[in-house]
Amino acid sequence: MNIIEIRGLKKDYPLGDTLVNALRGVDVTVESGEFMSIVGPSGSGKTTLLNVIGCIDFATEGSVQIGGREITAMNDRQITDLRLHKIGFIFQTFNLIPVLDVVENVEFPLLLMKSLSRSEIRKRADRLIAEVGLQSFAKHRPSELSGGQRQRVAIARALVTNPDIVLADEPTANLDSVTGASILELMKDMNTQEKTTFVFSTHDANVLKYARRIVKIHDGLISPN
Amino acid sequence: MLLVQLSLRNLLRQKRRNVLLGTAMAIGVMILVVANSFSHGISDIIFNRIMRYVTGHVTIRFNEKGGIHREIFRDRDRVWAAVKDEPDIERAEEAVGFFMRAIGNGKADNIILVGANTKIGVTKKELKELEESFHMIEGGWKELEKTTVENPIIVSEEKARTLNVKKNDVLRVRFRNMFGQDQAARLTIVGIMRNDNIFMQPVCFLELSNAKPLLGYRPSDTGTINIRVKDPQKNARAIADRIHDRLKPRLALIGGTLVHGALRSEATVLGFKSDDDSQAALAKKLTLTDGSLDPAMKKDGVILTSPLARALKVREGDTVELHYDRKFNEQGASRILRVSAVCEPTDGLGENVVLMNEDKFYDAFYEDWPKNDDPQGRLFRPDERNSWVPLLAPEWILLKRTNTTDDYIKKYRDLGKMKLKATTVDVSTMYETASDILKLEGVLNLITLSAVLVLFFIILLGVINTLRMTIRERTREIGTIRAIGMRREDVRNMFILETFFLTLFSASIGVMAGFGVMGLLSRFTFHMSDNPFGMLLVNGHVYFLPTFLGIAGNVLLIVAIAVITAYFPARRAADLSPAKALGHFE
Repeated sequence: MNIIEIRGLKKDYPLGDTLVNALRGVDVTVESGEFMSIVGPSGSGKTTLLNVIGCIDFATEGSVQIGGREITAMNDRQITDLRLHKIGFIFQTFNLIPVLDVVENVEFPLLLMKSLSRSEIRKRADRLIAEVGLQSFAKHRPSELSGGQRQRVAIARALVTNPDIVLADEPTANLDSVTGASILELMKDMNTQEKTTFVFSTHDANVLKYARRIVKIHDGLISPN
Repeated sequence: MLLVQLSLRNLLRQKRRNVLLGTAMAIGVMILVVANSFSHGISDIIFNRIMRYVTGHVTIRFNEKGGIHREIFRDRDRVWAAVKDEPDIERAEEAVGFFMRAIGNGKADNIILVGANTKIGVTKKELKELEESFHMIEGGWKELEKTTVENPIIVSEEKARTLNVKKNDVLRVRFRNMFGQDQAARLTIVGIMRNDNIFMQPVCFLELSNAKPLLGYRPSDTGTINIRVKDPQKNARAIADRIHDRLKPRLALIGGTLVHGALRSEATVLGFKSDDDSQAALAKKLTLTDGSLDPAMKKDGVILTSPLARALKVREGDTVELHYDRKFNEQGASRILRVSAVCEPTDGLGENVVLMNEDKFYDAFYEDWPKNDDPQGRLFRPDERNSWVPLLAPEWILLKRTNTTDDYIKKYRDLGKMKLKATTVDVSTMYETASDILKLEGVLNLITLSAVLVLFFIILLGVINTLRMTIRERTREIGTIRAIGMRREDVRNMFILETFFLTLFSASIGVMAGFGVMGLLSRFTFHMSDNPFGMLLVNGHVYFLPTFLGIAGNVLLIVAIAVITAYFPARRAADLSPAKALGHFE
């Protein structure tokens, strides 16, 4: 079953006086439970594609279906709710909320959902924190953690809502190779355990060995191989 | 709850910036609180510490026969009956006072002698309040009740110095009483007080029961009545209105017996109004059978109805004696009346009626208030529909109620142009006699508020700038929380809440600082006994009267302005595209 289905996706954006064609007609499908990497050099359109899949940016043209729902027809509130319930994000620079501690950062999406009791939220956050191996750092603020630890928190936060898809934009770019490898191992484990679809972008060839499927993008177009 | 938690924590992120902004806000609120409390304190001093004692919250003022100094009403019982059943009255007292020339030990000066009630119904608390307002240096208020000395009085320290007198010395005073008679008296100093209010320095207090006879009041007379009421802002006007209703005058009449030689006849004596219009109307209505109207109109004579003239066998030029019972004296009163005309009792006029010019009529009516006992209903008491009534003199003239100082001044200005013969009765509240003071408080508050609003305008520019900087610094964070699934309105509200809390905390600190400043300023003692501004001090201290509503209103206003100001940058932050926000780099 396709969890992501993209047809004829084009994305243009203005840069000064010129119009940049970031995506020039992308067709791609992702099956549920996949662990897929989008590969390409800088400026190839990886982040733009992830942003459109993550519903934080909009297509100029084409169709984007997430879980069978066409997102181009949705309003801001529907899209925001879709992001909250169906999609988890892992950012290159971790993007944790600095005023919240580890457990609060992980709880954050659940608090926005307002569908669980306080104790259930805490229970689920604690489980995820344990799974990423940060129990003893639960009360630490992001500034008190290393890069790898921060990215683990970001993974826990992305997974805490049981999303259908986790999108990771260059998740290891700000980490050393050992930490990066451990993060990818963790993501892979989560993919296996939780059956969550992972789509991540990278331009690092070392990272590619973790991917089960690789989609290459170049100049805004998917390469045939 | 999440938004509150985030907003509060975010406030602590930029400590220096928020502390600076918060300090500026707190100073603004502090100034506002201190200034408002000061202006409210001035109003309170004037209303509740000066006017309350000088005029009361409600005042019933009398002027007999248009005389500005004749503050007297001759039927004390009637007026007090209109007052005594009012439930919300704290205290009602007669106020009598007079200018006098006092001679001390080789020095002379003017004083104002004021009657002070220390005997009847005065509680310990009220005595304490008196002693707080007028610090006794020597003697005490209770010494005014002494019977072993002649006219015991309390004088101010300054007056005692001017007159070169001390306790137990005797002051000789000369004055012209309200009836124009020159009088002299001896006053014994039993106490010396100190008062910061320069206007109270010429005042000498004499027990009311001693002051009244000295000034020419009889026991049945009353001077101005000052009424202190509970919750004056709520009750004063309503009480004044009700008392005003109860004091509506009836037609003034004297029921008595006319005697001419051996002949006697019961008669009702009425006064007719002496203004030109009323006299012209009266001349038209009267059908004369003898004599002429002119002497009666000019106060020289009276007009008798023809049945009365026949019964007494009198005609123009004869004199008759009027005898009648007095309300407050067992001895009857009598007057000699000269008949100048006889008229027919037409158009509803009673058969045994004597008509006389109100000027002469009121002399008799007020001097010897008639008893008018009439168990058999023989007196002529026309009802309001009787066509003669508009031309006849009422017991007194009840002045209309007014709402503002302007109306009140206009009322008395108009009154000055009229040559009134009757006693005027005026019921007023301090809110109209001194509404200008309330206006002054309002103006002071407005000036303060305007100044503070300018300050806040500058501060709010700071709020906008701070918020812009904050949003700029946290753009990626906004992108992150939007990407995770926070709705636009929650992002907006989070920033508004930050401003709300910052303003609320700053305002609260400002209020506390305001109280601190007021407490500090109140500790200083100023001696301003020779300065009019001294009256605005309480016991030599600057007086502040903060009110919960005033402070809450100010805080609310400042918070509301800040929140409204924060709304627009907050909305702009919420409208940021998550993708663009995430791609933002400083």
